[in-house]
Amino acid sequence: MSDSLLEIDRLSVDYETARGDLKALRDITFDVKKGEIVGIVGESGCGKSTLISSILRLTAPNTRFREGEVRFKGQDLLTLPERKMRDLRGADISIVFQDPMQTHNPVLSVGRQMVDIQHRSSASRADKRRRAAQMLGAVGIPDPEARLDQFPHEFSGGMRQRIAIAMALISEPSLLIADEPTTALDATLEVQVIERLRELQQEYNCAILFISHHLGVIAELCDRVVVMYAGAVVESGEVREIFHNPKHPYTRRLIDCDPGHIKERARVLPTIPGEVPDLANLPQGCIFQDRCDQAMPRCAGDVPPLTTLKVGHQAACWLNQMEDPV
Amino acid sequence: MSKPRSELHLILTGVARDPLGLMGLIIVGTIVFCALFASWITPHDPIGMNIQDRLQGPSLTYLLGTDQLGRDTFSRVIAGGQVALKVALPAVFGAMTIGLTLGMIAGYGPKWLDNLLMLFFDTIRSFPTVMFALAVVALVGPSLQTVVLVVMATSIPTYGRVARTQTLTLRNSEFILAERSMGASMARILGVHMLPNIVGVLAVLAAMDIPTVIALEAGLSFLGLGVKPPTPSWGALLKDGYSLIRQTPWLVVGGGLPIILATLGFTFLGESLRDVVDPKLRKQR
Repeated sequence: MSDSLLEIDRLSVDYETARGDLKALRDITFDVKKGEIVGIVGESGCGKSTLISSILRLTAPNTRFREGEVRFKGQDLLTLPERKMRDLRGADISIVFQDPMQTHNPVLSVGRQMVDIQHRSSASRADKRRRAAQMLGAVGIPDPEARLDQFPHEFSGGMRQRIAIAMALISEPSLLIADEPTTALDATLEVQVIERLRELQQEYNCAILFISHHLGVIAELCDRVVVMYAGAVVESGEVREIFHNPKHPYTRRLIDCDPGHIKERARVLPTIPGEVPDLANLPQGCIFQDRCDQAMPRCAGDVPPLTTLKVGHQAACWLNQMEDPV
Repeated sequence: MSKPRSELHLILTGVARDPLGLMGLIIVGTIVFCALFASWITPHDPIGMNIQDRLQGPSLTYLLGTDQLGRDTFSRVIAGGQVALKVALPAVFGAMTIGLTLGMIAGYGPKWLDNLLMLFFDTIRSFPTVMFALAVVALVGPSLQTVVLVVMATSIPTYGRVARTQTLTLRNSEFILAERSMGASMARILGVHMLPNIVGVLAVLAAMDIPTVIALEAGLSFLGLGVKPPTPSWGALLKDGYSLIRQTPWLVVGGGLPIILATLGFTFLGESLRDVVDPKLRKQR
């Protein structure tokens, strides 16, 4: 068996809509190894959320898995019976959602929710409670024993997100999916949560699939990064490599747009002009051609395949396949 | 740190801290106490006649006077409370339980089931309650059970609809999605996570519904369609008093006052409960 924990293999997902099939994900391929932190970046609507819900198989009713496999520990999740799938969720795969203000049951105390989430364990109620307090302590909530009796609204946003992380890690999963866990928080809390995640990752040695549109956070936390655009992977590789030597024009523009990278004071922050193509009516050829400043005639013809440029760096752009590089 | 206090304790202290809630609690408590210990409290037999002492005013022997058959009005008021609660409590709790179950099924289940249940609710609701009650009583004959069943059937849709709406809002909320992504089964989601979010709202609705039911029972008895004559009921008292109002006003007072008090008490209690069951409004100390 390989050391891959999660392998997404040529995954294509459609949404059936009144306007026709929306090709939300096309040919997604990447993997997450044991104990590794992989980041996924991309602007809104690039299919990040569809990807997560496909992994957990909590998709909307109009979702169709057209092709490909999602293998977790070598087992295809897309064909797993619902019963088995449910046994995985919250046990071996956990998730932390974006908005900590919405992810807790408002009428149950935090302690009750944390005890309830251990419903698979046969431990006694008191043991579960002790475990819950211990996890709260691990994510840095002071006086955890007493705070178990409080309700979600009595905690701040940053604390609630840390509680959500505690709940996700309580079963010691081998994969934690973090869906923009810091987007709803302010900058100082963001750093706190990121640090905490990294510490816990080392302690529990779980892999993290970290979704974000914030490059700085990804650079800070992740080992590898997957750049997605309009439902496809355009570039993937080691964080250092991607940030220092981006090989896809989209990645390059994305890095240029990150306020952390701008050296001079600018009146207007740089943006990538143009819009994401209509996923129900995909244009022929490369999906980024309309917004790309280096588009060539070839880009309008064929879709560039994701090719390995060197070990640990893949990109889908024709520019990298010219006889003599620019 | 103190031990975690029980939910009921929190709710009761919360209600008692609110002046209106306290008043509601006292009134409701008194009514329930009188109903429970009616046979010890009543100074006379509520259905025992004494023709010599008919239509008397209030005195030390007869606190609220007597009716046309010489029965003690005060004893009849106390015993009438028993009848009122015997109708109201089972009817309201029955309707709440059934409505809650059906409403949650409608809200969480498949679309066709939702449509079917809504059709059922709307059908019941399309009958005016009193007319429906009149029709059923005319068919089956007046009795305590009939009144309970009629009231229960007509209130199910109210609870069902509220439970359904709550379930619909909750099923798309992020914390339910979070529960699902943590591998919770449908039973767990409905029972552990949705139920506590819905039951508070319904409990408030029930507390406010009890006086309506008491008034409905009184109304039916007033029309002679409620409990059968020798059994004392507030509505029957009103009915007797209504025809005898020129001879003595005490029967109307005896029948009317408890209805007003019960309505006020349960409404105050309901309103206070509404504020208390919401943990966000509950004051922590």
